[in-house]
Amino acid sequence: METPNPYSLLAELTYRCPLQCPYCSNPLELNRFRTELDTVVWHRVLDEAARLGVVQVHFSGGEPLLRRDLTDLVRTARQLDLYSHLSTSGLGADQARLASLRDAGLDALQISLQDSRPHENDWLAGVPSFEKKRRAIESAKRLELPVTLNIVLHRHNLDRIDELIDLACRWNVDKLELAHAQYGGWAFRNRAALLPTEQQVGRAAEVVADARDRLIDNLEIVHVLPDYFQQFPKACLHGWGRVFLTVAPDGAVLPCQTAREIPGLVFPNVKDTSLEEIWFHAPVFQRFRGTDWLPEPCRSCDRREIDFGGCRCQAFLLTGDVAATDPVCHLAPQHGVVEEALNEAANQSTDLRFRVFAS
Amino acid sequence: MKSESPLYYPVFAPGARYRWDEVRQQHQIVFPEGVLVLNESAAAVVRLCDGRSTEDVIVALREQIGDADPSRDVREFLDRLAKKGLLRDGDS
Repeated sequence: METPNPYSLLAELTYRCPLQCPYCSNPLELNRFRTELDTVVWHRVLDEAARLGVVQVHFSGGEPLLRRDLTDLVRTARQLDLYSHLSTSGLGADQARLASLRDAGLDALQISLQDSRPHENDWLAGVPSFEKKRRAIESAKRLELPVTLNIVLHRHNLDRIDELIDLACRWNVDKLELAHAQYGGWAFRNRAALLPTEQQVGRAAEVVADARDRLIDNLEIVHVLPDYFQQFPKACLHGWGRVFLTVAPDGAVLPCQTAREIPGLVFPNVKDTSLEEIWFHAPVFQRFRGTDWLPEPCRSCDRREIDFGGCRCQAFLLTGDVAATDPVCHLAPQHGVVEEALNEAANQSTDLRFRVFAS
Repeated sequence: MKSESPLYYPVFAPGARYRWDEVRQQHQIVFPEGVLVLNESAAAVVRLCDGRSTEDVIVALREQIGDADPSRDVREFLDRLAKKGLLRDGDS
């Protein structure tokens, strides 16, 4: 199969962040990756991405607003006719900053929220932030920027899903993304304290289905289900090295933003090699591309072109073998580890460990 | 918020825009987390959605393509894009 060009670049400008969410998708070993690419290299990365066929660039982090060159990078993205998104905590997203980003060509904004109630939100985020997020959304709407409100779901906020939907309506956002935590990185470390119960998941799905019918003309709702409770794994990234690529703050190029937690993979760096060379030829992008590498039962499965064997990070975290079938699949030989994790979470109460970036 | 149809003065909704993809040689509408690939005639329609009325879009298209009457197809297509939240009424 011919290698397709990528559509989407996740530009992780920094791992620094004012929040301390216990399910952060950044690496656990944040202190190992403290260096950040400078502005000149990021301009080159955007240019190489556009030539490679990237259509959408997601400026993300950490908190990308902590980079003072963000407006500059957004302007370059627009000049290259890339569609630019900003994923932010909302902290630092005041009206003046958002206006300068919009004027530079920012196309859309995604703001995270941790919970529907200020006190609970601020507890999960680790800092007072609810009110700042509300004001950031208000400013973005005033500037006619399309806003997606993104909420990571888990045991502690799932029962307030109706309140979260009401809030999204009141705040007049364009799209609501309700995404269950993906249990890698910090979320894996906190798994026993974050996993919801099956009853919680079922009830939430009913609430969302009902809201979708009711709000069909007003609010688009995306509901990302928790794969631990599903029959089949997620089509992680729509296939390894197929649609997405990530450039991490230090310039490492990753097929997936969390792939750093898989030991033994070698990630090329944009400081040494062009994005095109990396995308088409780097061994780490070839390794799980397509379906030739698949183990059984994936190799002979009808769904092999649908889910590509599931998530590589999850396969490694749960089985120790990066090339195993994602164990959330009910057909996976090691599916038992998922059931064990659910049982463990249901029978234990564990404290959350918050993300820290020691200085 | 999605627009009521029919559209009288179709324009792109905030966050949606037309682009030509040089690498893939494709017309596209890009919007938050998505890409809609357009064929030549669809691209001709959306590129006219610059604030002029639907009537004027149809008149301009008729001039481009000769004698066939595109009005029904155009209205249906504009409706579909409005339902997807990609177009809205510029006059509302």
